[in-house]
Amino acid sequence: MSVRRETEVEATPEDVWDALSTEEGRDRWLGEPGREVVVEVADAPHRLVWWWWEGDAPATRVEFLVVPAPGGARVVVTETAPEVPVARLAAAFSSVCV
Amino acid sequence: MSDRLGAVLGALADPTRREMVEVLLSDGTTSVPSLTGRFPITRQAVAKHLATLDDAGLLERVDAPGREVRWRLRPGALAPAADWVRTAESAWDGRLGRLKRAVEEGPPD
Repeated sequence: MSVRRETEVEATPEDVWDALSTEEGRDRWLGEPGREVVVEVADAPHRLVWWWWEGDAPATRVEFLVVPAPGGARVVVTETAPEVPVARLAAAFSSVCV
Repeated sequence: MSDRLGAVLGALADPTRREMVEVLLSDGTTSVPSLTGRFPITRQAVAKHLATLDDAGLLERVDAPGREVRWRLRPGALAPAADWVRTAESAWDGRLGRLKRAVEEGPPD
């Protein structure tokens, strides 16, 4: 079960990457402080995968692909919702910090 | 995300179960024996997948003569998943719009 959306940004993939991959960058557009974000893959500046969840709700997986486009960068996001208990996720990522 | 939605999404996270739901969407009803003939898995595995779909509230038993238990999709059962998709799509449209504006405006001084 997943959704896919995309947009084009008049900026370099590196600028988009900064806004996606750092907490400071995300504060400028995400604005959802209730959600926990755990980064799984950070392959700068093109591929970022995080898991996130709110409270006790099941976590979902968010994957961003950032690729060069004629006017700047294309950003494709896919959010997938498997049911992953938060505790299991926390254990799986216990050695990773956001 | 409600428990009910979590159960539906969890049940549909498995590709075999998604295929089983597709069989039900096209055939209307199915049973353990008929699915066992269509999937390269054991009868026990088929029964377990059906039980998972049933636990998620996706199935109902069809009253029919004979010994074979047949199943169909419960009307409206897929609605929570469809709602999640619509909500997630609309949320990402908003977020990507804000991301685009934030990046194009550049970082604050």
